[in-house]
Amino acid sequence: MDRLVPMATPIEPPDFDPALIARYDVAGPRYTSYPTAPQFKTEFDETVLRGVIRASNEEPIPRPLSLYVHVPFCMSPCFYCGCNRIITRDHSQADRYLERLYREIELIAPLFDRDRPVRQLHFGGGTPNFLDIRQMGELLESLARHFSFSRAADREFGIEIDPRFADGAYVHGLGELGFNRMSVGIQDFDPAVQEAVNRIQSFEQTREVLEAARKSWFRSTSVDLIYGLPLQTVEGFSRTLEQVVSLDPDRVAVYGYAHLPEMFKAQRQIAAADLPDAATRLALFGRAVAQLSAAGYVYVGMDHFAKATDELVLAQRAGTLQRNFQGYSTHGHCDIVGLGVSAIGRIGDSYSQNARDLMGYYGALDAGRLPVARGLELDEDDLIRRELIGELMCHGVVDKQQFGARHRLLFDEYFVRARERLAPLVADGLVEDDAREVRVTSRGRLLLRIIAMCFDAYLDDKAQAARYSRVI
Amino acid sequence: MDSKHPAGRLPEPPNPIADDGDEAHFCGTCAFSSACIAAGYNKPELAQLQCLVEHVGPFRAGEHIFRTGDPFRAIFAVRSGTVKTRMVDKEGREQVLGFYLPGEVIGLNAIYPEHFPCDAVALDTSFFCRFSFPAMSALASRIPAVQKHLFRLLSKELGSASLLAGDHSADERMAAFLMDLAGRYAARGFSSTRFHLSMSRGDIANYLRLAAETVSRVLSRFRSQNLIRIEGRELELLNPDALRQLGQALLPD
Repeated sequence: MDRLVPMATPIEPPDFDPALIARYDVAGPRYTSYPTAPQFKTEFDETVLRGVIRASNEEPIPRPLSLYVHVPFCMSPCFYCGCNRIITRDHSQADRYLERLYREIELIAPLFDRDRPVRQLHFGGGTPNFLDIRQMGELLESLARHFSFSRAADREFGIEIDPRFADGAYVHGLGELGFNRMSVGIQDFDPAVQEAVNRIQSFEQTREVLEAARKSWFRSTSVDLIYGLPLQTVEGFSRTLEQVVSLDPDRVAVYGYAHLPEMFKAQRQIAAADLPDAATRLALFGRAVAQLSAAGYVYVGMDHFAKATDELVLAQRAGTLQRNFQGYSTHGHCDIVGLGVSAIGRIGDSYSQNARDLMGYYGALDAGRLPVARGLELDEDDLIRRELIGELMCHGVVDKQQFGARHRLLFDEYFVRARERLAPLVADGLVEDDAREVRVTSRGRLLLRIIAMCFDAYLDDKAQAARYSRVI
Repeated sequence: MDSKHPAGRLPEPPNPIADDGDEAHFCGTCAFSSACIAAGYNKPELAQLQCLVEHVGPFRAGEHIFRTGDPFRAIFAVRSGTVKTRMVDKEGREQVLGFYLPGEVIGLNAIYPEHFPCDAVALDTSFFCRFSFPAMSALASRIPAVQKHLFRLLSKELGSASLLAGDHSADERMAAFLMDLAGRYAARGFSSTRFHLSMSRGDIANYLRLAAETVSRVLSRFRSQNLIRIEGRELELLNPDALRQLGQALLPD
C-alpha cells in the first residue's frame, strides 16, 4: 500500500549519446497502457464492461472520473498522421456524430454512481476544434448533465487545438465553457517541411491561439513537435525550437515520426527519400533536448518536457506521476471513460476500446448498445508489470524490496527472464540492476521504452513487435 | 519472455483457520472438536452416528450458500472467504443483516423456524464446514459439551454488536463497524489492523443504513484525518484507538 519512494528527479538534461541511441533504434511500444492495445480481446464486450463499471462503483471510495472525448474529424490530412481520423469539410458530419455521442453519454453515464466527480476531461482527435463553439457548448452541457463535474479548483479540462482552424475568439469561447488546458499541434515551422507534410501553419496563427488561451483563464498550454519529418533539417528545426521557446508554453512534447506507410495510408504521400537519415533524426532530437533544457524545460521522460514549476515536474519529484493515454498525468488515480469512436477507457483493472470505425460505432449505438469493441481485464501479472513499467517511466527507479512486499513476490526470481533481457542494457550503462533497486541512469533516460520492454511479458510475439514505431 | 505466472511469488499469508482435517481427523481449529474429543467421540465415531462434517465449496462471489425458505438441515462454519446474510422484501428491496468472516458460523437463526429466514451470499470465493443439524442436535443430547458450545454460539449471535441501534452519527457507525471487524479478525488470529473489505460499499451502506455516498464520504474523512489508509478494498487502521473512541457508544466494552 505504501507508495514507492521516488528518486530525486534529476534536473539536469538526460545524456544524449548518439552512438548508443542509434544502437537501440528498434521498434517499441510507448506504454501509454500495459498491456498494450494489440492485446485487447473482442471477448471483452458490453456485458463485461457493465460488470467492470458496476464493480468500480462498489469500492469503498470509488475513484473519481476522467472523461476522454474523441472527435475524429479533420479538415485536411496531415501526411504524417497515424491517428484514427476522418478527413472532411462537411460539418453536417459533426452533427451526425454528436447525435451518437449524446446517445453514448446517455447510455454509459448512468452506470457510474453520481457521487463520482469528473476531475479531468480531455478532448482529443482528429481535430476537436472541428466542432464549432455552439456544438462544443452543447456537448459540454450534455456531459455536465449526465456526469457530476468536479467543482474543485484542480479539475483539468483540456483540449487539443489545430491553430489553422481556430482563432482567438474561439479559444476565448472554450475558456468560457470551462476549458483550462490547451495542447497545440505545431510539428515544425519550417515552410519546406510544412509543405511536405501538407500542414501549412504560420507562427502568427499559433501565437494567436496560445495568447488567447492565456488571456482566457487557461492554466496550462502545451505544444507538440515532431522530428524525423520529410525535408527536416537541424537548422530549420533549431529555428522552430527557438520560436517555440518564444511562445512560452508550459509543456512541450517532441514526438518521433514513425514512417509506417503500410499501416497508415496518409503516410504513403511522403516520399521515403525525403526522410532524414538516422543520424539526422538523432541530431534533431539532440537539438530539442539541448535547446529546451537551455530554456529551462525539464525532461520528464519519453517525449515530454515541462517547465520546472509545472505540476508534471512537481508530481514527478513527489513520486506521484503516472502514465496514461495522454502520456504523463497527475490524475492517474481516476477511472477513464472513453467516449467517441475508437476511444479507449481504463476502468478498475480493465481497458476497453470503442469500435474504431464510424460504421461500427454508429451501428452499436443505433441498436441501443454500448459501442465497446474490445478490451482486456488485467490479471495479477499484468497489474504487477503495469505498475513496474509505470514506475520506471515516471520515476526511473523501483525499490525491489518494497515492490516485492507490495506484491508478495521475490523480485529477482519473479523477474528472472526480464533481468536476463536487462543485462545487456546494464552493460551499456542505461540502467542499474543491483540487489536493492532497478534504476534508470541519465544515459538510459532517453531509452525508457527499451528498458520497459524488458519487463513486457507479451513481447515474444514477433508479429506484434513490427507494429510499433521506433523508440527514438 | 517470462511465463505469465513465473516462480518468485511468495505464498499467501497463512489462514489461521486450519484446513487440516480429513475423514478421520478434525481440523485443528474446529469449534466442535474439543467438545467431541473430550467426550470420547472422534470423527469416525461421529460418522457412525451419521453426524457428518462435510467440507463444501468453493462458492464464488454472488453464489448462494442457502436461500430464504430453504429447509434447515445444516449450519455452516466459514473456513475462508466472506458471506453476507440478507433478506429481500416483496418490493425487491434488500436488507443486509450481517457479514460473516472465517471461523464464524451461519445458519443459527434457522434453528427455530426450521427453514432459513434469510439468504446467505458469498462475497468472494468461500469454503465452509457443513454440520448436519439433526445429527448435531442428537449429538448435543448425548454430549453436554457439544450442547454447551452450541448455546455459546447462539448467544454470541444474539449478542453481536448491533451497529444500528440508537441515534448515532454516520462517523460513529462507520468507526464501530471497522472496529467490530478488526476485533473479529483479531479473535481468529488474523491481522486486526490490515484487512480486505470484501463487502461492496452498497452492502456496507445498506447494513449501516447509510447512503452509499455517505460511506465513501466518511471513509474519505477518516483517511484525511489519518485514521485509516485505504487503497481499493485494502484497508489499514492507522489509529485504532481513535476509531474505538469514536465508535464506543456502539461497541461492547
